[in-house]
Amino acid sequence: MSLEKRPVTRFELLMDAGTGAQKAGDILLGAFVAMGQYVYVEPMIPAEISPPARSRPALSGVIIRLADFDVTNIGNDTDLILAAHEIVLDRRLDDNEFNANAKILLDMGDQEANPDSYEMVLKRCTKLGLSVIPFNVDPESQTIVKELGGKGQNLHYLGMLSYIYNMDEEMVQKEIVKTFGKKLKEDIMAKNVTLYHNGYQLAKEKVFFRYEVQSHKRDGEQILIDGNTSMSMGIIDAGIKLYSGYPITPASSIMHTLAKNFPAYGGVVHQAEDEIAAIGTAIGSYYAGQPAVTATSGPGLSLKQEFIGFATAAEIPLIVIDVQRSGPSTGMPTKTEQSDVLAALCGSHGDYTKIIIGVANIIDCFYAPHLARYLTEKLRVPVFILSDFQTANSYKVLAKFPLVQMKNVDDIPDFVFDRFHMKRLTGPIEMVKTQQTTPGAEGGMRRITGLNTDENGKISYFSDNHQRSHAVRNEKIHHVRRALTTPEMFGKDSNEVLIVGWGSSRGAIEEAIYMCEKNGVPASGMNLRVVYPFPLMLKEIFAKYKKVMTVEVAYGDALKPSPLALLLRSETLKDIHPLIAEATGRPLRPRIIMKKIQEVLK
Amino acid sequence: MTTDTLSKPAPVPITIKELNTENPRWCAGCGDFGIIMGLKRFIVDRQLIPSQTVNVSGIGCSGRAPNYFNTYGVHSIHGRPIPIALGVALARPDLNLFVHAGDGDAMSIGGNHLIHGINKNFKCVFLMYDNEMYALTKNQTSPTTRQNHPTNTQPQGSYLNPLNPITVALGLGASFVASTADWIPDHLTNTMKTAFDHPGFAFVHISQRCPHFDPNNFDHKNSNWFSFLKHPNGIEPDRRLADKTEVLEHDPSNLAQAFQYGAAERRYFGLFFQNKEKPRYDVILHNLVDKAVKKDPSKILDSFLV
Repeated sequence: MSLEKRPVTRFELLMDAGTGAQKAGDILLGAFVAMGQYVYVEPMIPAEISPPARSRPALSGVIIRLADFDVTNIGNDTDLILAAHEIVLDRRLDDNEFNANAKILLDMGDQEANPDSYEMVLKRCTKLGLSVIPFNVDPESQTIVKELGGKGQNLHYLGMLSYIYNMDEEMVQKEIVKTFGKKLKEDIMAKNVTLYHNGYQLAKEKVFFRYEVQSHKRDGEQILIDGNTSMSMGIIDAGIKLYSGYPITPASSIMHTLAKNFPAYGGVVHQAEDEIAAIGTAIGSYYAGQPAVTATSGPGLSLKQEFIGFATAAEIPLIVIDVQRSGPSTGMPTKTEQSDVLAALCGSHGDYTKIIIGVANIIDCFYAPHLARYLTEKLRVPVFILSDFQTANSYKVLAKFPLVQMKNVDDIPDFVFDRFHMKRLTGPIEMVKTQQTTPGAEGGMRRITGLNTDENGKISYFSDNHQRSHAVRNEKIHHVRRALTTPEMFGKDSNEVLIVGWGSSRGAIEEAIYMCEKNGVPASGMNLRVVYPFPLMLKEIFAKYKKVMTVEVAYGDALKPSPLALLLRSETLKDIHPLIAEATGRPLRPRIIMKKIQEVLK
Repeated sequence: MTTDTLSKPAPVPITIKELNTENPRWCAGCGDFGIIMGLKRFIVDRQLIPSQTVNVSGIGCSGRAPNYFNTYGVHSIHGRPIPIALGVALARPDLNLFVHAGDGDAMSIGGNHLIHGINKNFKCVFLMYDNEMYALTKNQTSPTTRQNHPTNTQPQGSYLNPLNPITVALGLGASFVASTADWIPDHLTNTMKTAFDHPGFAFVHISQRCPHFDPNNFDHKNSNWFSFLKHPNGIEPDRRLADKTEVLEHDPSNLAQAFQYGAAERRYFGLFFQNKEKPRYDVILHNLVDKAVKKDPSKILDSFLV
């Protein structure tokens, strides 16, 4: 039996929706963490609750990247797939995310009833050069699964995977008890544990390879958290007092987390009748002096646009979180994309600019609400936080990060600014309306309106006045522009190629540049945390690179620039094209980034 | 946060003059003058503190109303004053909250918010300015335009039977439904009083004249076409007109009778229905916070420790 040591590997468990693939992933993750390995998990979730079993839309699974270093993204290609049947495997092969020598463990349980379908998929695997290791769940386990009403197969697979990844059987069992302990009756739990052991035993007898990733002892307190949960806790820590939202994938889990937790910290969760009402109530609350936030995804962002313009004109602070998914329209609700940046920036009528913060990872999710609150209260313009499906749903173990417990925005610590590559705002900030009192403030009575006003807040249709309002609003954005410092850079200060991305592409860019440097590919990288406005020195930075190219999970082609490329071109006059502009719903891969850079350099 | 506090009287007596801002930009004879004057009279009678009073409106002629009160105010976007008002109510339950909406705001573009404002029953006085047309956009059919009345968008005459705001509100389960008109100032102010004291969403329908586009709609010189509803728990009939028209005794707890008056051809001004016991969403949310076992904010990540 060979035990192959690897610095990094990636595997997948593919099952039908509702059969527990993600639960098995959670248990594995707990065990890997207990072993001191670095893990990054991406759940694959269908947009429907329970699509018919053994159908392509039913694919539900978990991708686990395991490394002996801190992983910042889901990585390149899969080395091992464990598939519950041939249909989910066939569906996943379409994504073309496997290594040429990837191994496939295929459960043959459904073969008898579907011989042709199995034959077809097995032929496909052979054609692709993939080695398939067929297996059958042992008879005892099959009986137990039947007794459990079709449940428990995931624990059998979990057993197989924990053998292959050289995990201690007893330790994983502890994780199982920890996960299900309170929910399952003793006899049911015993059956599940038997399934696990049988799976472990099966792999021991039938599978002739094992992998090991080196363990590390990690100091300090560690937490396991996903992007949306991190954002939710950040909202609480930022001193926000109202969450106002409407259910929409993939933003809803922020509302779920806050519904459970917010009241204990003095916060209110309001589920509005629609997306428009949700943002209206956030605006009403902020106007009356209680910091508020609304979160949504693409379709909701479209609906909210008129109120975003109102908040701008009336100078009411406003924070909008957009957890991006694939669009346009309903698009692909459970697939990731970075395609809302233009809708956020330019989506509403009348030409006004906003501030867009992009979150690059789970820790950014926690601190973005603090920065958003600081900026929107100082400038009284809407601030967007753009996350995406990938960032929202991925989870990993992190060293517990410091809290701020922000009450007043002036209490915001420097490290939050550093994280987003900007400085504290300085100097007086002019408002369209000089007086900015809050209801209840004695003697401060004033009316706000979406109509144009003069500096006294009076409705005004005079030409000079309207031009001034635009100038004042834009100057607010320029304040941010001037406060932005050099964005996060990877690699050399000058080079043949610079690849630029924003938000969640950070991890893939960082790793791609690391690979480029190791392979002598002359490329550097940049990640923008504040996506708009751009820092003033951007043009000077770009001048040090022969080619500047974007990497985006959004569509672009030779005639249609991708969103970030469009913005960068217009603001720097540099001939910027996308290196990768793919709206496939799948995250960027470092290896593909390097490969494309190599092609460009040929 | 407290759920509800009675507003304290102003330290210096408030007069109408202090509540005025600029000259309203409404047409001569517009019913909106009467409505805001009725509300100002109430504010003076009750001595509400202007800095603790918020008027929220939508868009249209009625949308301008908050600009003409020297209180706090939000002139928001078309159809959406209710969500804004709810935000204010959740953030500052101690403030006096008045929502101003036209028939387009309330019954058309913002219909969904009216449904849920009524259902949520949060504390505010909701004033529906009903001139039965779109006026600021220059004479278009609204959901309450009477059938066959010609407008710029339906020049052959409005096609449909109008929506009936009273039965709509009653049907939605409103905890307070009253009706009044811009030209009966005494009744208007009495209505504001009863509505303000209602613990919940007080739906007040106001028939409003539009002399510019529809001068013959409401015969404000005669009173034989409407009746007042009267009750010890209701709204006092108009002092000036009480002896000139029918005054009916109506118990505002009688929902079936309220529907009958609401659906009748004849107009009724007064309190159709009131239920002071309907649960309030704002109170429920505030209670959730008040009664939650508080957690240490310095440990918010501790439940994620591995």
